[in-house]
Amino acid sequence: MVKSSSLALAVLIAGFSGSAIAQGKPTLTIYTYDGFASEWGPGVPLKDGFEATCNCTVNWVAADSSIGTLRKVQLEGESTEADMILGLDTAIAGEARATGLFADHGLALSDLALPGEWTDAQFVPFDYSHFAFMHDTDTMPVPPASFEELIALPDDIKIAIQDPRSATPGLGLMLWVKAAYGERAPEIWAGLKPHILTITREWSESYALFLDGEADMVLSYTTSPAYHIFDEDDHTIKAAMFSEGHFPQIEVAGILKSSDQQDLARDFLAYLTSVEGQKVIPTTNWMFPVVDLGTELDASFEGLPQPDKTLTLEESEIIANSPAWIEEMLAAVQ
Amino acid sequence: MLTLPRRPLRIATATGLTLIIAALIVAVLWAILDAATGASGGSRVDLAHLLRMTALQAGLTMVLSLGVGVAVAWALNRLRFFGRDLVVGLFAAAIVTPGMVVAFGLLSIWGRNGWINQAAQSLFGFSFDSPAYGLSGILIAHVVLDGAFAARILLARLDAIAQSRLKVGQSLGLGAVQRFRLIDWPAMRGSLPGLGAIIFLLAFTSFPIVLLLGGGPANQTLEVAIYTAVRLDFDLAGAVRLALTQIAVCSVVILIASAFTPVPSALSRSAQPNWRDARPVRAVQWLVLVLATLGFALPLLNVLYEGLAGGLFRVLEQASFWRATATSVIIGASSAALTLALALVLALGRSATAQRVGRTLLGVPAYAYLAVPAVVLSLGFFLLVRALGVPSGAAAPVVVVIANSLLSLPFAMATLGPPLDAVLRSRGKLIRSLGLSGWQQFTAIEYPLLGRDIGLMLALAFCFSLGDLGVIALFGTQDFQTLPLMMYRALGSYRSNDAAAIAALLLIFTIAAFVGLPRLIERIAHAPRR
Repeated sequence: MVKSSSLALAVLIAGFSGSAIAQGKPTLTIYTYDGFASEWGPGVPLKDGFEATCNCTVNWVAADSSIGTLRKVQLEGESTEADMILGLDTAIAGEARATGLFADHGLALSDLALPGEWTDAQFVPFDYSHFAFMHDTDTMPVPPASFEELIALPDDIKIAIQDPRSATPGLGLMLWVKAAYGERAPEIWAGLKPHILTITREWSESYALFLDGEADMVLSYTTSPAYHIFDEDDHTIKAAMFSEGHFPQIEVAGILKSSDQQDLARDFLAYLTSVEGQKVIPTTNWMFPVVDLGTELDASFEGLPQPDKTLTLEESEIIANSPAWIEEMLAAVQ
Repeated sequence: MLTLPRRPLRIATATGLTLIIAALIVAVLWAILDAATGASGGSRVDLAHLLRMTALQAGLTMVLSLGVGVAVAWALNRLRFFGRDLVVGLFAAAIVTPGMVVAFGLLSIWGRNGWINQAAQSLFGFSFDSPAYGLSGILIAHVVLDGAFAARILLARLDAIAQSRLKVGQSLGLGAVQRFRLIDWPAMRGSLPGLGAIIFLLAFTSFPIVLLLGGGPANQTLEVAIYTAVRLDFDLAGAVRLALTQIAVCSVVILIASAFTPVPSALSRSAQPNWRDARPVRAVQWLVLVLATLGFALPLLNVLYEGLAGGLFRVLEQASFWRATATSVIIGASSAALTLALALVLALGRSATAQRVGRTLLGVPAYAYLAVPAVVLSLGFFLLVRALGVPSGAAAPVVVVIANSLLSLPFAMATLGPPLDAVLRSRGKLIRSLGLSGWQQFTAIEYPLLGRDIGLMLALAFCFSLGDLGVIALFGTQDFQTLPLMMYRALGSYRSNDAAAIAALLLIFTIAAFVGLPRLIERIAHAPRR
């Protein structure tokens, strides 16, 4: 029985690999996180849009998370099929850069509409938003306006956040508190502790807790309300703006040095940051575009608040200290 | 001392399979170590604390689940009522439903904004502190998942008690307590070590539920630390070290469970019980049943309700939903078939030897998947497939089928092992005196008697595969999408209504499989004889 089953497996493997015969057109293989390549994400329309002009095939390969895409390429080394990684964010870009796997993009990006000037030689930004706590105006008409106000609320006001070790927003919150409070970060975390309902593995789990009314607030993005306005005509979900300022998540893409499709990859990045490509992003990835779309920006994004202040941390500082900061945070909420 | 028919081929095949599985595990760990570059950053994990917390949680889960399982199986065995099969199917469905779905179902009942609190709020004007978070939350969720499963497996053993035994018991006028002690307990005893080990290991390695309901880093498992090492720190050597720690701890549990001497259990199928317990005892049985149904079924019913009320049609309209369904069913069926093959090889070999060491060693490989962290297994498979030169997208279905089969294997062994042992104990002499060959022994005796258990096992393996996300992470491409993957993707894209609908449909498939498959297989197994 063992024999026959392994024989069946061999046949299966042969069958599957046989079907992957290369076609005449060049293929651009892009590793990205799951949500981006899903049928509702920007992957499909971006593929269609780019393929219309490039005489090529775009091949999305989804990993379970954005850090997963980087790890996959690191494991595959030189022989990776990937030409590009799309979906890393600025919190892990430094670590990605340090691997030495990424080539310069060579694009002029000084005109982008981002919270700061963009000077990165390897990574190209394609959308952004700020981390923020969501609240429901039906159950919480007046949200706290700072971390300290949140801490001062009664203990039965609960927030759902994500683990900085498994979810990018979780990492973002850790950096946000650090950027806002520096040395005082452990004190803020200790203050937040009684409010933390739970720390989930993924963003989607905490967000579901919030939608089910289990948590009063959830760590998400300033752009999250746009989904509920666009898809459900629900205007009750809003981002609470904090006076300390907000930490941004800027999502980036980078070309791999090992790719034999450097020009094609650069063309894709140019398309991705063009008005044409950027029009896709807001209502599929629920993030702000990186160019000014003017009236083409969907109405659901119009009323969204922008923070007064965007907090930042030096990339070198993030690389050097993230593990220690995560320890510090976990110890404070333990 | 009982002499079993000599079956050297069975023992040799099972030993061979055991070695293959062991080699696979070694290869997985070796592939990861081989890929590990540079010095590891040193473990930042407080191992002692983690192990203590995890062992406590898993131990409590095991004790509570077995207790609940025995009580519910006892009540279900005695009571006959309209819809009993559906209730039994629903109970079995819990363990194979994606953990997240069950956890959210639980929260809809027990959560801060759940039915109970909402009712308390509107009736008495105050709400309780929800028990659904922290250690109690983890335990409730695990007991719902595992206790219901234990009940289903134990019920199969009780339902198989021979009619003649029951008649003797009844004629002796046994009271409810004596009946349990002398008739029920011996029938269930053989399944408890295996079940206990499975439940302990499931709880020990549980990941998403512990994070969702645990409330913070105080309640965490080793798996979380391993995930961190693999993903965030990219400390592969460290991950292997942690994985070995987990394997070591799990091995202790596995060895204890496998070393138990087999206990003869019964095989026949009981018809309508005409031996009813006394009225007060029946009242207790009904109470147990009602409580269990409320506890187990309400969260699942709520999943159905939310899914069917919300975005059902939006989901049914999507071509991708039907593609994902087809993929899931094919993967599920292949995994179930492979699981059956693996489980039969191991269980037949194991039942053919009376030696303690042999039985222990042949029992161990069944637990391989539970002891090896999913993220490590996924990573190792990924590296192995690359080393073989196969494109990872093409290998994905095969790897998923193998992984799902390994995942289902302990459950399959727990289902098939005890009845196979029982066959040999009750029919061993007959087989020897007739001089049956191994094949004849299987087709004429074992297979017909095991029909229903094989059906239950196939249903389990099929549904596990249907609901599992496990190793797909590193292999995923957008073309290869199973139903649970589609559900998580919907959830990750704000589409909670779609996710709820898919969860409900998954649950319906699962229950249908559990109600249908055991009957179907039993009919097939008995067909030539009628």
